Amino acid sequence: MTPESMAVDMADTYSPCDALPAPLRSQVIDQIVHQGQLALHCTSADQRPMLEHFKTQQGYDFLVDVTAIDHLGMDRTERFEVVYVLRRTRENSHQFRLHVWLSEDSPNLPTVFDLWDSARWGERETHDMFGIVFDGNPDLRRLLMPEDYPGFPLLKDYPLRGMGERRQFPNVVPRGDQIVEEEPGDYPTSIGRGMHTPEYTEEVRRDSKPR
Amino acid sequence: MGLESLIGGEGFLTTTVNSIVNWGRKNALWPMPFGTACCAIEMMATFSGRYDISRFGAEVVRFSPRQADLLIVSGRISLKMMPVLQKIYRQMPEPKWVISMGACASCGGVFDTYTLIQGVDQFMPVDVYVPGCPPRPESLLDALAEIQKIVGEDRFDSGKHGS
Repeated sequence: MTPESMAVDMADTYSPCDALPAPLRSQVIDQIVHQGQLALHCTSADQRPMLEHFKTQQGYDFLVDVTAIDHLGMDRTERFEVVYVLRRTRENSHQFRLHVWLSEDSPNLPTVFDLWDSARWGERETHDMFGIVFDGNPDLRRLLMPEDYPGFPLLKDYPLRGMGERRQFPNVVPRGDQIVEEEPGDYPTSIGRGMHTPEYTEEVRRDSKPR
Repeated sequence: MGLESLIGGEGFLTTTVNSIVNWGRKNALWPMPFGTACCAIEMMATFSGRYDISRFGAEVVRFSPRQADLLIVSGRISLKMMPVLQKIYRQMPEPKWVISMGACASCGGVFDTYTLIQGVDQFMPVDVYVPGCPPRPESLLDALAEIQKIVGEDRFDSGKHGS
């Protein structure tokens, strides 16, 4: 057997779940392989011990990404899943995901920035987009959105076009020899005439009808 | 320009000074590029040798708003970028003109989402809009010709530009 085919076989059958100590292994809710990618599921109570084990005992030295999934309206026990993508870059390199189930009532998780430094920005982005709070992260500011932004835009119940944040700026206009700030006036292309309104869709449908 | 306001009306001196000043202004525009997306690539092509905006007297690209009189907004402007753009506009000395280049800067383009300004003209003055996604360099040159037309018809003693 060549080293290459061994590596392929290992990727197919290997699971970091097998090396977990028995009490933790019993806490793995689900183990899914899809498209050759392994995903382990656990509850929020087991997130920290599992990640500590993967970092210190199994050598997963690189946290590729922290993100989340909002399952609002789906048939799920918990609304959120926080996803950690872990990678081992040294010998027996391997990558898998840990999905942590998180309830809507208390969207809090302990931070893991002391295990991987890359968790700082990953947790900031996840907080920015989903409003999930990572307890212990010393710098949980917004990463992408403006710092005074009120909402969490990747939540399923957040409207695509926001809640009026796009109109929050003053209108900067020259008046005489100085520049003054005014309230922005009505703006027909963004209010009621956006490209995704039902009226626009109806208009396009009517215009594209054969005459 | 105190002298012209004293004379008033359309005297010979006033119109001649006006046309000379405007001729100078419109053939020596100093653009400030505000490129945030793919329109900026077309703008760079317009500035470079093949399309060569210097043939129309606007080749001195200034990356400081203090030294520019033509702001070219080319690209998407997000919520976070709009205060920056307003600040840059206010930092430019009078007289100044603004080109809104491309669909995104003019109306948000296809990005009708929570983070994108649906047209910068809601929050600052725009003189010329350039349609296209992104517009070709010829379109930007056409917009420059329009700006030159506007500058040429301007009266610097009209009080519009802080004079």
